[in-house]
Parts: sequence; C-alpha cells; structure tokens
Amino acid sequence: MSKPLALPLDTAHLVLRPFERRDLDGVSHYHTLPNVQRYVERSTRHPDDVAAAVELMRSHVSLQRPGDTLSLAMVRKGDEQLVGHVTLTWADATASQGEVRFVIDPAYSGKGYLSQAITAMLNLGFDHFQLHRIFVRCDGRCHHSIKLLQKLGLRLEAHYREHALFQGEWDEELHFAMLDREWRPSTKVLEMPRRDRVA
Amino acid sequence: MAVFPHYPLLTARLRLRPFTRGDVDAVYAYRGREDVARYLFDPPLSRNECAMAIQQRINQVALEAEGDRLILAVDVGATGQLAGEVSLIWRSEEARQGEMGWIFHPDFQGKGFASEAAAALLNIAFDQADLHRVFARCDAANAASWRLMERLGMRREAHFREHGLFKGAWDEEFYYAILRREWMAQRHSILPQ
Repeated sequence: MSKPLALPLDTAHLVLRPFERRDLDGVSHYHTLPNVQRYVERSTRHPDDVAAAVELMRSHVSLQRPGDTLSLAMVRKGDEQLVGHVTLTWADATASQGEVRFVIDPAYSGKGYLSQAITAMLNLGFDHFQLHRIFVRCDGRCHHSIKLLQKLGLRLEAHYREHALFQGEWDEELHFAMLDREWRPSTKVLEMPRRDRVA
Repeated sequence: MAVFPHYPLLTARLRLRPFTRGDVDAVYAYRGREDVARYLFDPPLSRNECAMAIQQRINQVALEAEGDRLILAVDVGATGQLAGEVSLIWRSEEARQGEMGWIFHPDFQGKGFASEAAAALLNIAFDQADLHRVFARCDAANAASWRLMERLGMRREAHFREHGLFKGAWDEEFYYAILRREWMAQRHSILPQ
C-alpha cells in the first residue's frame, strides 16, 4: 500500500466519497425503509440510530489495520443524489481477506449503480489494498443481490440454512467470494510509465 | 437444552463413554501420528500432551451451557479397544446449533465405526439436547471425513477456497450440516440402529 488512497472513486454514473455530516437526511431516507431494515444487521429504525450510523461511517475513511472498514457514499453524478452506500472491511490480515457490503435506496435500484459501486470496491480491494480474497454475504431472500453478485462473477461458496436467528426468524445466508487472480475486469488496464516500454 | 447423557452409550458394535486416565496410551497411538494430525488444527501430540488433553476431557461429558463440549471415547464392543473419539460442541443456545467432529485411529477406519459413533451422537444432539442444526467442517482434501458426512445425510453448505491459512498453506474447507427435521426423517434409513 505504497500509494495513498485516492478518494473519491469515480464510476460511470457515480462518485463514491466518504460520508459527510450533511448526508444524515439522505441516509435516513433509505436506511429506515422496512425493505432495507429487513436485511441490515444493525437496526436503525429511529432517527438517533441513523445519526449514530452516519457518525460511524464518517470515521470509516481508510483501512489501517485488520477490522477497519472503509465506508463510501454512492452519489449520483449530475444531481448529487445519495443513492446508497458501499463498504469494504479488512477482515483478516494474515490471510488478506476483505468483505464488501452494500445498501441501496430501493428507489434507485435496477439502474446498474450497485454493479458499478461493487466493481469499484473490488478494484480497490484487489489493486490498492492487495487483498487475496473478497467475500460478500447476502440473505437468501435477496434475489436481486444474488443475481447481481453472480453477474459480477463471484462464486457462491456457502449457503447456510437455519444456522442462526436473524430478526426473530431462521436465517438463510449466502456467501459469495472472489480471489485476486480471478478478478479480471475490462477496466483493469495498468498504465505503464513511458520509460518501461520496449522501444 | 442442557444434556447429561447416561454412559456408556451403546450402539450395535460400539461403546461411547467418557475418557479416563487409563486412555493415554490408546489416544497417543493415533493423536501422535502425522497422518492423523494432517487435517486437525493441532500438530501430532506428544504422550504428555495426550495426558493433558485427557485430563481436560474427563470433565467434558455434558452440555450445560453454550460452548460446552462433549468428547467421548469410542470402544469397539467386541475387544474393548479404543478406536477413536467423537465430539459435540454446543455452539449456540439461542439458535440451537451444534458442531460435531471425530478422530479415529487409521487401523479402525473403513469399517463404519465413525458413522456408527457419529449417528449415536446425532441422536444425542437432536433427541436429548434438542438442537435445531448440527454442522461439521473438514478440509476439502479429507475425503474420508466428508464422505462420512454425506453418509450421515448431511448437506454440503459451504466450500470455501483460500479463505484462510492452515498450517502454512491456503485452506480449502467444506462445511456440512443437517437440520433436526432432516435427521428425524432419515435416521432409520441411514444406519441400522
């Protein structure tokens, strides 16, 4: 990790930037929706909970040590609409593992934004942070997430049935994962400095 | 729920019972072997380490609280020889989850002893401990272990690739599980009781 982390990240339709205080209203708007609450681990049904969550995410600006999380707001280019957020957690240092998590405002889903945001996070994890493996977990009922992760080329590595209680019900959980050597998106063109070229 | 099984547990050919201090040599006979330790978290144990492990196991005979382990010696009924060990760990009280494991002396492998002992333990897990789900893990290269899980009717729920380091190399791990209702429905067809 010799290069400093260059934020914000830029995708076709989004800017991924660290959270700011003014994002509270935007996050409240989508994070308290029942459709979102149904799948999140930390419940934020009350405005105070959302404020605490935004405060926490504001501090997630870099990965310095295992357990750290980088949280980025997904902001649409043009109208600067906050459409969701995406995070990368450094899960394990010795085995170089990372986890990507995401939330999107259902009003803006299905437009390819998550696909761009997750792709950017995978690039960041593998290229910048040099992770060996990145995994993404999702609920077995989240059909859109499952389709998206498969489309991005992640492999289904686990399908747990009734392995825990989640929000009072038996949980069904999927793990998707990708190894660094399997991640070959078309965007991954490394620019070589001129002096290294063969004449 | 808490479970205090009545020992010994008898199956068609086996006797499952708590470890005693007299088991040190029999345990060292397999836990001291390189081929047995290959897929275990521990390296091969010395005789002294086996004695210390057994000292611990003498108390691991009941599940009273989450995290408790039940580790039993498996004797072959006919000769009374110690063939290996089976374990059941109470992983979650709220979600009623347990984890199962087994280690057998290579001389006693391939005779269905591990299946028979594991089935007895699954009966304890689902009948007496009232668990909802029991899972077991093994290295993907440990075919003897995961074939046993499949014989028991367990389902492969995970196949992790390079998710961690194990003994200095990338780990590949299988994760099998069975639900209470699945075991209840099929246990009589899996093994003759």
